[in-house]
Amino acid sequence: MSYKERKIGDTLLKVEDISLSFGGVKALSHVSFDIKEHEIRAIIGPNGAGKSSMLNVINGFYHPQEGLITYKGQVRRQMRPHQAAKQGIARTFQNIALFKGMSTLDNIMTGRLLRMRRNVFWQALYFGPAVKEELEHREAVEKIIDFLEIQAIRKTPVGRLPYGLQKRVELGRALAMEPELLLLDEPMAGMNVEEKEDMCRFILDLNDEFGTTIALIEHDMGVVMDLSDRVVVLDYGQLLADGTADEVRNNQDVIDAYLGVSHGDDESLEGAA
Amino acid sequence: MFYREVGQLKTSYQSDQAVFTIAQDRWSFLVLLIVAFGVVPFFINDYFANAVLLPFLIYALAAIGLNILTGYCGQLSLGTGAFLGVGAYAAYKMTTAFPELNFIIVLFVSGAVTAAVGMFFGLPSLRIKGFYLAVATLAAQFFIVWLFYKVPWFFNYNATGQISMPPREVFGILITGPKAQPWATYLFTLSVVLVFAVFAKNLVRCRSGRAWMAIRDMDIAAEIIGIRPLQTKLLAFGISSFYVGVAGALMFAVWLGAAEAGETFGIDQSFLVLFMIIIGGLGSIMGSFLGAGFMVLMPILLKQSMVDGLGLAAVTAKHMEFIIMGVLIVFFLIVEPHGLARLWQIVKEKLRLWPFPH
Ligand SMILES: Nc1ncnc2c1ncn2[C@@H]1O[C@H](COP(=O)(O)OP(=O)(O)O)[C@@H](O)[C@H]1O
Ligand SMILES: [Mg+2]
Repeated sequence: MSYKERKIGDTLLKVEDISLSFGGVKALSHVSFDIKEHEIRAIIGPNGAGKSSMLNVINGFYHPQEGLITYKGQVRRQMRPHQAAKQGIARTFQNIALFKGMSTLDNIMTGRLLRMRRNVFWQALYFGPAVKEELEHREAVEKIIDFLEIQAIRKTPVGRLPYGLQKRVELGRALAMEPELLLLDEPMAGMNVEEKEDMCRFILDLNDEFGTTIALIEHDMGVVMDLSDRVVVLDYGQLLADGTADEVRNNQDVIDAYLGVSHGDDESLEGAA
Repeated sequence: MFYREVGQLKTSYQSDQAVFTIAQDRWSFLVLLIVAFGVVPFFINDYFANAVLLPFLIYALAAIGLNILTGYCGQLSLGTGAFLGVGAYAAYKMTTAFPELNFIIVLFVSGAVTAAVGMFFGLPSLRIKGFYLAVATLAAQFFIVWLFYKVPWFFNYNATGQISMPPREVFGILITGPKAQPWATYLFTLSVVLVFAVFAKNLVRCRSGRAWMAIRDMDIAAEIIGIRPLQTKLLAFGISSFYVGVAGALMFAVWLGAAEAGETFGIDQSFLVLFMIIIGGLGSIMGSFLGAGFMVLMPILLKQSMVDGLGLAAVTAKHMEFIIMGVLIVFFLIVEPHGLARLWQIVKEKLRLWPFPH
């Protein structure tokens, strides 16, 4: 599985003792784990386990009541999502969050916004530096379009695209930010086998080629085993297990949790065995 | 002649980013410009300037302004009437306080003042959205108009409470006041509107436009890619109001020559401009022109055909006009919510394939 040559680096992100509740609902309680540079870290667990909430905490969408987050050596309690973006954290959503009225190209171009500097006066004139900047970023975006093999839908409004392609465009937008940490919330949910294979390939390639660190929520255990270096298991907002894919698969607590609860069948561990 | 992009290979991203990617479009636009600048001024008369061309151009500018805010950034505003007023009163105060000041500078300052006022009233947009924001801008509408009534400083303490524009020249040509020639007022307005329309088109296809549309389509996702909602919305309020302010200044100074707060800048103006962008097309600069043209021309055509053609009494015709306009607006909302701009697009796509279906 770990055929990858690249080396795992230092700790990029560490969450310690994170607790988050909504009213009476405890979405996360005292969860701690870390993510190392260049690794692919899977977060798994039954529905409602708190996986999406964890990603929301990491990119500043939710503010935990307790706990600390250390990102690139800096300790923080909370921040706004746009600050997280500035610090190199990008993500995709479980339910696609694209800009429906805009084309594929424009959606991915929005991922470059933080890197664009020209003020409104240059933009209004569309002259000199503003044009140069537009074209530079257009080129970067075209590379992503090539990488994701979506040249044909460049000018299509994303609202008209099928689900699988929308997921791909959303990944493209996140990639356009050239993130250091990429958070993917069920990037393969609802896809057919072929689309899943493509998506797996993209994830592995970008980890290999650009060394992007990835945290990935995924239900398909086969995919998790293939892709991830280490796995975090959440259940009812608690950390159930943390280790390599093999360790986690053989962990008795994990087996119990998956067998003891009557979740959807796609979440069972059998698929991976 | 065929309307085709065949044989027009785009060889660079630059040409692919251009406003008119098809040569026929470029040529049509050029011809339109030549007619507008080179032909129309020779045939223009008072009626044509003041009833058709000036209102069309000035409302188009106001519609571009509102479209930036509502069509591109998704923030509904019902304060357009008042913001037109802010531009008008700013121009009046400036030009009466400093009669020597170049009128072009007066226009810019009017826009800037309106931008500041617009941004102030845009502040609540961080917390409230949609319908509630519309109500907040409605409050701005009534408050500002009330202010123009109540504070005599705004109309220089004159007895009528009206403001009227003194004659002013640009490059030695009279463009305001009763003696201004129709070709001069028309050419001046056309130039201003054209320049600002080009600026707007550039803005919406650059970073700012994408940030606005991102906020409009999904503000949560916009924030995770690093867009700061308040700054982005305030920029939209500012630039939008700048455009509306310049339009208001032109409306008062060049077109009407005189104005009175409640009469000229009431809530009905807000709705008129809103209808223009809905009918023309939300999120389209060209749609702003189409919508303004529709709302300015339709009543004139209806009136002429009913009074002159059918011999109806003027009052009856006026009532009929209201009804027909209302029906047309509803018709558009139901049949083509994306407006005339979208219809135009569809026609072009059909033309591109003609005579081969698919
Ligand atoms: N914004 C929210 N408001 C209230 N409850 C929430 C919110 N987000 C998540 N929750 C609750 O937190 C728990 C964990 O949800 P989530 O993180 O979405 O789980 P998962 O992604 O693992 O399926 C669930 O009980 C859910 O109802
Ligand atoms: Mg989830």
